[in-house]
Amino acid sequence: MSPRARPRPTRRILPGAILCALLTPPCPAAPPEVIPSLPKPQADYLLNCGGCHGLNGLSNGRLVPDLQSQIGYFLRLHEGREYLVRLPNVAFSAMSDEELAAVLNFIVFQIGGTGVPGDAARYSAAEVAALRRRPLNEVSLTEYRGRLVETLIRRYGAPAGLRSYGNDRH
Amino acid sequence: MSKLSLDALSERITRTLAGYSSRRGVLARLGMAFVAAPLLPLLPLLPVARSAAAESAKTDFERRAQAKDANKCDYWRYCAIDGVLCGCCGGGVHTCPPGAEPSPISWIGTCLNPQDGRSYVIAYRDCCGKPICTAGKDCRCDAVDREMPTYRQSLNNDIIWCFGNAAAAYHCSTAALVGVTNPAEGGPAT
Repeated sequence: MSPRARPRPTRRILPGAILCALLTPPCPAAPPEVIPSLPKPQADYLLNCGGCHGLNGLSNGRLVPDLQSQIGYFLRLHEGREYLVRLPNVAFSAMSDEELAAVLNFIVFQIGGTGVPGDAARYSAAEVAALRRRPLNEVSLTEYRGRLVETLIRRYGAPAGLRSYGNDRH
Repeated sequence: MSKLSLDALSERITRTLAGYSSRRGVLARLGMAFVAAPLLPLLPLLPVARSAAAESAKTDFERRAQAKDANKCDYWRYCAIDGVLCGCCGGGVHTCPPGAEPSPISWIGTCLNPQDGRSYVIAYRDCCGKPICTAGKDCRCDAVDREMPTYRQSLNNDIIWCFGNAAAAYHCSTAALVGVTNPAEGGPAT
């Protein structure tokens, strides 16, 4: 290769660098470690529910109901399906109906997994909108849940671990 | 007399002006101004204006956050931490010091990484089971980005999350990186 034909790296890189500086403010630096990119329903779950329920739906099961491999069973009962949306912290969430429906579907179908009936429909924004207008304000939530749990265990073979929450009342 | 001198002055100015400019030049500039005027509202779309807008949307913490020293309160991951940094107590940004247990219950929020301008999901876990760590004041932090009053307990940073642990004594606080949000899908709902 003759000296004339030698590529001029600086000239080739410089316009690209200027263009990058102009178009993307500021040019992104390489992240220091490999961090998972979170789909919106998962990010919304983490920011609105995950602190107490845990990153993967497991936390302190005596204080906060476990979700992993348990919550899916609630969809076996019509009342259980409604219960998940009518829980005050769910119904009064700052999320929109669409966002809340997506988070509920993420929780039930991805974190919950086991126990979801095969023909269970996904929550729609319209269903969530109607249910969150009827929050469970006037009941003892622990007793309400306990009654649903006993039916799920007796009739649908749900795991006895569903009883953990509420058994540590002070 | 004075009128005459004023005439002379005007004439001199006009002639000087004429010497430096042309009628075509004036017309060209006027034309340019007419063409450019409708584009003025588009100026905020320019990258410089965009980054200025992004800068003004930042919180005070985000404007001065750094990404080098994880044992300082202005490290970017600590945008909503309230407590003693575990890194100053024999632990790390996301690890408890020996003998302390992480709380299973925590507060999860987002912090802006100044290196890439993206929002990261951070889990603020307390380390529990030992008396409070007595670190210097540089390690005792209280940042409040996106914090809410106690009537929204899950977003309040005064809560000691050790209540879910067997030994509920508070020792120090960590800030574990959980993931990065995807701006293409819109910001997370909080």
